[in-house]
Amino acid sequence: MAAPRNRKPGRKPEATPGGRRAASGKDGREFVAEAEEILELMCTDLCLLHEQRHGEREIDPDLVHRLFRSAHTLKGLAGLFGLDALRHLAHRLEDVLDALRLGRIDGRSPVVGLLDEGVSTMLALVSGFEGEDATRDAVVARAENFLAELERALAEPTGASPDGLAAVALDPSIVRALTEYEEHRLRENVGRGRPIVLVDATFELTSFEEGLAEISGAVRESGEIISTLPSAAAAGDGKICFSLLVATDLEPSLLARRLDRANGSLSIVHPGRPARATRPADPAQSPAEPAGAHASAGGGFDASSSGAATGPGAEDRRIESLRSISGSVRVDIAKLDLLMNLVGEMASQRTALTGIVMQLSADPRTARIGTELAKIHKLLDRRLKALQAGVLDVRMVPLRQVFEKLSRVVRRLRIDLEKDAQLEFTGGDTELDKLIVEQLVDPLVHVVRNAFDHALESPEARAVAGKPSIGRIRVAAFQRGNHVVIEVEDDGRGMDVESIHRKAIERGIVSADEALSERDVLGLVFEAGLSTRDEVSQTSGRGVGMDVVRSNLAALGGLVEVHSRKGLGTTITITLPITLAIIQALIVRVAGERYAIPLSSVKETLRLEDHRVLRSEARELISLRGTPLLLRRLADEFEIADAGAAERGFVVVLGMGEQRLGLVVDALDGQQDVVIKPIQGPVRQIRGIAGATELGDRIATLVIDVSALVAESSRRREAA
Amino acid sequence: MTSESTSASAPALRGAVSGDWLALSRSAARSFHSVPTVEERRELLVVEAAGSPYAIAVERVREIVRLAAITRIPRTPAWLAGVVALRGEIVEVVDLRRRIGLPQAAVTRSSRIVVIHGDEAGIAGILVDAVRGVLRIPEQDVLPTDGRDFRAVVEMVRTPDGFVGVLDLERVLGAGDEDGR
Repeated sequence: MAAPRNRKPGRKPEATPGGRRAASGKDGREFVAEAEEILELMCTDLCLLHEQRHGEREIDPDLVHRLFRSAHTLKGLAGLFGLDALRHLAHRLEDVLDALRLGRIDGRSPVVGLLDEGVSTMLALVSGFEGEDATRDAVVARAENFLAELERALAEPTGASPDGLAAVALDPSIVRALTEYEEHRLRENVGRGRPIVLVDATFELTSFEEGLAEISGAVRESGEIISTLPSAAAAGDGKICFSLLVATDLEPSLLARRLDRANGSLSIVHPGRPARATRPADPAQSPAEPAGAHASAGGGFDASSSGAATGPGAEDRRIESLRSISGSVRVDIAKLDLLMNLVGEMASQRTALTGIVMQLSADPRTARIGTELAKIHKLLDRRLKALQAGVLDVRMVPLRQVFEKLSRVVRRLRIDLEKDAQLEFTGGDTELDKLIVEQLVDPLVHVVRNAFDHALESPEARAVAGKPSIGRIRVAAFQRGNHVVIEVEDDGRGMDVESIHRKAIERGIVSADEALSERDVLGLVFEAGLSTRDEVSQTSGRGVGMDVVRSNLAALGGLVEVHSRKGLGTTITITLPITLAIIQALIVRVAGERYAIPLSSVKETLRLEDHRVLRSEARELISLRGTPLLLRRLADEFEIADAGAAERGFVVVLGMGEQRLGLVVDALDGQQDVVIKPIQGPVRQIRGIAGATELGDRIATLVIDVSALVAESSRRREAA
Repeated sequence: MTSESTSASAPALRGAVSGDWLALSRSAARSFHSVPTVEERRELLVVEAAGSPYAIAVERVREIVRLAAITRIPRTPAWLAGVVALRGEIVEVVDLRRRIGLPQAAVTRSSRIVVIHGDEAGIAGILVDAVRGVLRIPEQDVLPTDGRDFRAVVEMVRTPDGFVGVLDLERVLGAGDEDGR
């Protein structure tokens, strides 16, 4: 989760010499890119915050803290570029978030609800940055309105929470060193009845970061680090001492055991509620007890305001937070691609090496060297796999970012179309290759927009149909094997199969005498030039779109399918591979040529002679466990050779989404890791070919585009 | 990987061509160039297809490689010989004979693929029967042709051995379907 975000809030673009404003060019673009990235993160965090607010759950302090830092970074960035409106706004939001994290305002305060609008106003400011003056002025006016609203909301009194630090047996010097925020967290945790302990640990000066990270990690598994303070205690040469102020859900003795370190010590500064007396440890009750259960009360423990030890610390000195700033790096995706390519090439060279190892081992004269080499080869192989997995992992990002974009789109549509809809997301944690995620945004926005604009009926029409007046769009993502499936489901009017069919005939997409199944007809919505709505609306519906959606997704090796029931709703299902970079492929042979088929789409392989080939119309099919499986002969498909009706060979059962197809090939040549490369040259787009790869022997091998083949097959309407 | 192969054409040419004659002729050309001359000169790579010479602007040539196994791509025009793997890059190869309307010929030991810097920073290969050498031609010896007379030849250069057609690479590598079927 941390790595793919790759953001580094501390980084600022260089201001142009002399002028404060870099209105265009690289700096400007960098500013926009960076600001957008920060704002996206804020959007995501805000969503989480709202979830926690509404779910009556405890608001995660780290979340608020991150939001605060984002606003802060944005403020600095806006200042650098002389964007006063943005700077003011970020500044005020920073204030709100600061008040929230310090407990000065309650999470349920209406002010918190305004944060959304604040962030989207900032987004508008940022996107207006390179726009025309007129639009910029409009956005600035919007920002000012919003600020005024925010001020009004802030002026309303909010109840501040009482504090109680008197019961905490902390050295006053430590209390004084705490920042206001840390003090607030301390108070929160005492109020909740968590035991508070002070962990003293000594580290080698040269390696204290690792040691500290290790301890912090252990603590955070079951608690919170309120503050990490460099200790004044003499630590000896080359050593450094830290005190960690920790609130924990664990029995302190358990924590001590967990932090089993020779050079650390643990002292209890506040016993916490569950351990009020010298209570025998009750494992069933103590550690796992949800902290939130105690959150409401201020009683039990001294809730009188102490007020004495208000730390002056204005600076955030938590070492942990400094670490997290330097701990993530923003990386250009092109650099990751380069790494990925290198890894890919190493993978194909490894394959070549395998051959040599086998040759050496087979020859008695070189068998010993062969065995040695085989050992090294095996190790190398393992490392290479780990490296591959590591690089892939870095490229993975959660879909939540895309979902957040979608909800922004819907928010805007609500205003533009004066229509409401409920938008639900599930599976935001599902991860996909960054490159795919980027390419996915546009098609997905299109699909959701379609659902909102076209599929959902007006409230009146819904009432007549006996549906809730507000329509519902559900976007669900989940992983299925090596694929990620994204479903966009609405409860709207559904698609009218007959009207689509009629229109397709009118436009000459299909001929009137073709017999099409319902699914065939629904598949036609992905054909160019077919928009099922009669009038054209501003938002969507010019009949360009679904075909682009399909081709964009196909370029990613994905597939889009539609299921619809008239009157009940439509589900668009998008199936995508998790990554594009390195794939496992099945190598097949047809008429002497080798082809690679992505293994993720291969369900199984069969021997053709084990099955009886049946014919229906011009199609060949076999029975696979009682269901018909249509066959296609790759040789025919690619016009490589006249395949005739050979009874020998293999059937590769391909599956994409819910469609199946049996591809007949001459021979199977085993599996290999391959890197799919684009084909350069005059022809470029070749239907049915996803790219090519070099299989260790310096010969290009074509990679079959399974989604294209499957899609073609399901729409195949030969004149015969 | 493109890192090693995107460099200018000269070193790649020298390394890739069989024998040193091309490098020699190029360096000879260069020393010739150092003699102050007034007129513009054109550097052209002369290749052979079906016994006739054709010229390609040298600055568009990235490298010349010996023929590797070409993989046929289904569903493509006949003038596209297929693809080859070139240090990790997958490059389409256009059969020059087929492209200019001549029958396909068997590949021989002298067959070469001339790798061209295409548009949009991509590359493409041209399959030729042989590479003859580099010509330096004064601009006044380059004569325009009527575009309608030829499939891919846009200009003629006058050489001591006769005329050589200069290929319009955009036409040779264009996706247009003026193929020789």
